[in-house]
Amino acid sequence: MAISSLHATTSLHSPCTTNASFRQNQIIFFTTRSNRRGGTRHGGARTFQVSCSVDKPVVIGLAADSGCGKSTFMRRLTSVFGGAAEPPKGGNPDSNTLISDTTTVICLDDYHSLDRTGRKEKGVTALDPRANDFDLMYEQVKAIKEGKAIDKPIYNHVTGLLDPPELIQPPKIFVIEGLHPMFDERVRDLLDFSIYLDISDEVKFAWKIQRDMAERGHSLESIKASIEARKPDFDAFIDPQKQYADAVIEVLPTQLIPDDNEGKVLRVKLIMKEGVKNFNPVYLFDEGSSITWVPCGRKLTCSYPGIKFSYGPDTYFGHEVSVLEMDGQFDRLDELIYVESHLSNLSTKFYGEVTQQMLKHADFPGSNNGTGLFQTIIGLKIRDLYEQIVAERAGAPTEAAKV
Amino acid sequence: MASTLTNVRLSTATPAAATSSFSRAPLAAVAFPRARGFAAVRASGPSTPPDISDKMSESIDKAKEACADDSASGECAAAWDEVEELSAAASHARDKLKDNSDPLENYCKENPETDECRTYDN
Repeated sequence: MAISSLHATTSLHSPCTTNASFRQNQIIFFTTRSNRRGGTRHGGARTFQVSCSVDKPVVIGLAADSGCGKSTFMRRLTSVFGGAAEPPKGGNPDSNTLISDTTTVICLDDYHSLDRTGRKEKGVTALDPRANDFDLMYEQVKAIKEGKAIDKPIYNHVTGLLDPPELIQPPKIFVIEGLHPMFDERVRDLLDFSIYLDISDEVKFAWKIQRDMAERGHSLESIKASIEARKPDFDAFIDPQKQYADAVIEVLPTQLIPDDNEGKVLRVKLIMKEGVKNFNPVYLFDEGSSITWVPCGRKLTCSYPGIKFSYGPDTYFGHEVSVLEMDGQFDRLDELIYVESHLSNLSTKFYGEVTQQMLKHADFPGSNNGTGLFQTIIGLKIRDLYEQIVAERAGAPTEAAKV
Repeated sequence: MASTLTNVRLSTATPAAATSSFSRAPLAAVAFPRARGFAAVRASGPSTPPDISDKMSESIDKAKEACADDSASGECAAAWDEVEELSAAASHARDKLKDNSDPLENYCKENPETDECRTYDN
């Protein structure tokens, strides 16, 4: 593991005003962490908070397979929080981290314990827990959640090697995205909110054709072979995480066109767990009822194959959930506005915010269908969750004083 | 599948050109992102940097080899997993090129205070 080079790294991005004693605290922290005594240095952590305006971060987990839209989701999410997310300035150009004013997104591939050669020698995929260091993942996510900076390794996706670590400061919102954010129970328990992108086999195939067919060496056969070879590990280690997610975005082929297998028109489900703190599911017309809605009719004309919504209560892995489904795609702006005005509990700050966000990123994949709509809605929900947690914390001391 | 495949055929021209010993091809794509009359190129975006592209096609050959004996082996899965990883890396590299295709935008990201980067609201 690349931990030996901890002291050699320099700061890539610092949202706080740093001073000498602050930096020293960090070094003390890391020295102790590698001895597994990090939790005992409370004094250091408190000094850190005083010298830094950032409070303890809210931690979000996003799980999905490779090539299933995590990057697009992250761009939508950080856009809702305000400000564009950029790679750390002046750091490793192959860093997987994205930083904006409020949010830092890290890629969990950085916690690979086996590099590309190591996985090949042992015959394990990156999906296999044996290729990942969950102890380090837990320690570092926990440290960030406690408001402490971390020296996170960098997995280089081009070379397949582990590069020297980068310093990550605690942001307001810390997002961990990758294959295993909900795999390890200890990491899972640190998450304030979790999302799973569940892409059906048909759609995954269609998306990977779009992504890879232009590449030299790739063919329909190679794309299919790659999906099939990874599937046993995917089913064993990645897919089961969806039972823990607070929100699942399920992407399926359309039912509006009989026997459609093009993967162009999509049916997308937003599965929202009930009873999650600071998260109130979106609903259509009447909360808790079962509703099917075809907005295209006398007031709104849609082009083929139209749009169909459904909403209702359901159970998902034994949990009570609300499910909102959209089949079809938006062809015109007024369709999107019409739909937005009929959804409730969107956590928007002004009328039309969902439409505005979707238009702002019309060039992102899925901006005309349920994937873009539901990703935007989840972004708004996470912003709302963050604001509620911050308000709660601000209110907590007064509450305590009363008692 | 018809429409997807049409798309595919459009864009195959790009990587093929980039890899046939034109190592400067991607640079040209960055410098002249909005070359007129290349609707097909513009539609499919910039091509993959040749180093990643080479690695990927090599990994596909190796995966086919690794699976020749036993398609259910760990080696076979690991080999195709490497293909997936490199395919994703290639796609991200293309996105990065697309995002960084405007030299003025790039300059202004680093130097927002300069005269040429000023924006005016009314």
